[in-house]
Amino acid sequence: MTWILILIIICIYLFFVLFLGSWAGRGRESSIVEYIAASRGLGFVVMYFLMGGAIFSAFAYLGGPGWAYSKGAAAFYILGYCALGLVPWWLWGPRALKAGKKFQYVTQAQLFSDRFQSKVLSLIIAVVSVLAFIQYITLQMKGCAYVFEIASEGRIPFWAGALVAYVVVLIYVFYAGVRGVAWTNVFQGAFMVITAWVLGLYLAYDLYGGPSEMFRQIAQANPTHLLVGPGTKMSFAAFASALLVSVLGFSMWPHLFMKAYTAKSERVLKQTIVFYPTFAIFLVPVLFIGFAGIMQVKPDELGAADRILPWMFSHMQFPPIAVGLILAAALAAAMSTQDTITHAAGSIFAQDFVEVLKREKHSDREATLWVRISVICFGAVSYLVAIFGGQTLVALLLGAYGSIVQLLPLAAATFFWPRATKIGAICGILTGVLYNYAIVLEFIPKFWDIHAGIQGLVLNFIVLIVVSLLTKPMDRAHIHKFVTL
Amino acid sequence: MNNEQEKVGYGITVFRPGTPRGAKIRGIIFFTIFCVIIVVQSCYWLFANSLRPFVLGMPFGMFFIVLFITAEFAALVILYLLESKNMEEKGDVL
Repeated sequence: MTWILILIIICIYLFFVLFLGSWAGRGRESSIVEYIAASRGLGFVVMYFLMGGAIFSAFAYLGGPGWAYSKGAAAFYILGYCALGLVPWWLWGPRALKAGKKFQYVTQAQLFSDRFQSKVLSLIIAVVSVLAFIQYITLQMKGCAYVFEIASEGRIPFWAGALVAYVVVLIYVFYAGVRGVAWTNVFQGAFMVITAWVLGLYLAYDLYGGPSEMFRQIAQANPTHLLVGPGTKMSFAAFASALLVSVLGFSMWPHLFMKAYTAKSERVLKQTIVFYPTFAIFLVPVLFIGFAGIMQVKPDELGAADRILPWMFSHMQFPPIAVGLILAAALAAAMSTQDTITHAAGSIFAQDFVEVLKREKHSDREATLWVRISVICFGAVSYLVAIFGGQTLVALLLGAYGSIVQLLPLAAATFFWPRATKIGAICGILTGVLYNYAIVLEFIPKFWDIHAGIQGLVLNFIVLIVVSLLTKPMDRAHIHKFVTL
Repeated sequence: MNNEQEKVGYGITVFRPGTPRGAKIRGIIFFTIFCVIIVVQSCYWLFANSLRPFVLGMPFGMFFIVLFITAEFAALVILYLLESKNMEEKGDVL
C-alpha cells in the first residue's frame, strides 16, 4: 500500500504543476513574442528560476548522484560547470537582449542568420539545435520514467512513466508557452533546492554520522574513488575538457540563449548571472546522496547508476510521504528542464526552419500555431527515442554538448568580429558539428581523450577565420549594428 | 554614424565605440579573473587532487571546487555593483 501513497503524492504534485503552468498563461495574447519571449517582461526571480530549472535537470539531479556513485570525483565537474556556465553570458546576454528588442528576434538563429544574412545558416542552426534537443529531452524523459518505475516498485513500466511526464509538460507548454515554463520552474526550483539540502545532509548524517565520516569510509573502501587521473574513472584531460566544453557550450544552448529575449532589462539579466553560481552550491548535497549510496547498494543490484537517488529513498525506511516528496522533487528536476527544451525546440523548428522555408511569412497567429504543433511533434519524437534508446543520462548530454558548443564562434563573430563572413560562418559550423559527430559516432578516433566538442570547436574557429579572410567582407553598415549593441 | 562605422572597421571590436577607458580596464581585469577561475576549476587536479584534509565535511578536492565557486560568486557581485552604477546612469533603458 505504501507505493500507492507515494504515487498519490506524485500525482498531487503533477496536478499542481499543471494548474500553475496553465494559470500562468491565462488571459495572455496569442502572439509569437508572448509565446516565445513572454512579451520581453520577466523579472529577476522568475528569470533566476527559469535559468536554474534548466540546470537543475535530470542530468544534475539523477545523473549527478549517479556519477558520484559510479565515478566519484569525476562528478565534481558538474559543480564547476553549473557555477561557471552562465558567466560567458555576461558578454553576449545583454547584447542579445538589446538586439532582440531592437530587431524583434525571438530565437538565437534569427540573430545569427540576420548578422550573416543567411537563411542556410538558420536552417543549419535549427537542425543542430533540434538534434541536440532530442537527446536532451530524451534525457529528462528517462529521468521521469526512472522515478515512476521506482515509486511504483516496478508496476508502472518505463514507457508509461515517460508518457505521463510528457503529457503533463505538453499541456502547459502548449497552452501557456514560456510563461508557463517560467512559473512552474519557480515552484519546481524552490522545491528541488529545499529537498536537495535537507535530504543530502540527512543521509550523510543518518547513515554515516556526517559527511567527513562518509568520505573516510568511501576512501577506505576505494582509495581512488574521490580522485581523478590515471587509475580512476576519469582522466585529467577528460575532466578538464568536459568542464571546458560545458562552460563554453552552456550559454550557447538555444533554449538558454533565447531567454535573453524574455528578460525585462539588462539589470535583470545580469542579476540572474550573478546569482547563478548559487545553484552549484545547491547541488553539493545532491552529490552527497550519490556518495552516500556507495556503501549501501552494489552496482549489480542497482542496475543503472542514474537510479541511485530514487533507490536510496525508496529503500531507506522513510515514511511514504517523505519518499513521495523526494521523488516528486526528482520529477521536478526532470520536468523543469523538459518543459523549457520542449518549448524551445518547438519555437526553433517553427521560426528558424518552417518560417525560413516559407515564401510568404505566416501571420502572428499562424506562426504561434506552428510553434504549438512543433512542440507536440518534438515531444513525441523524443519520447520514442527515450523508449528505444540505450545510453545513460550523462553520456547522452555530453554528446549533445559537442554540437551545441559549435555555435560559440557565431556568437563571438556576431558581436566582436565584423570581418566574419557568411561563407566563413557556414563552413566553420559545418566543420565543427561534422567533426564532433564523426568522433561521437567513432568514424575517427578521439585525440588524447579530449572532448570531441572542444576538438570540433578549435577546427570551427580556424575555418571561420581562414574562410572569412579569404572571402569578401560583408557590408560595413549592416555589420555595424551588431558590434555597437 | 558614418564616422562611428569607420571607427568600428573590420578588426576585432571587444568594446563598443565610445566605451570609457576605466570601463575597458575593468572589463579586461574581470575577464582575466574569470578565465583564471575557469582554468583553475578545469585543472583543479593540479592543485587539489587529494582526499585530505577534509574541510567542511568534504574531501579537499571537492572543497577546492566549492571555494572557487564562492570566489566566482564574489567576483560577479563586485562586477555587478561596479556596473550597476553605469546601468543607473543609462537609466537601464534598452
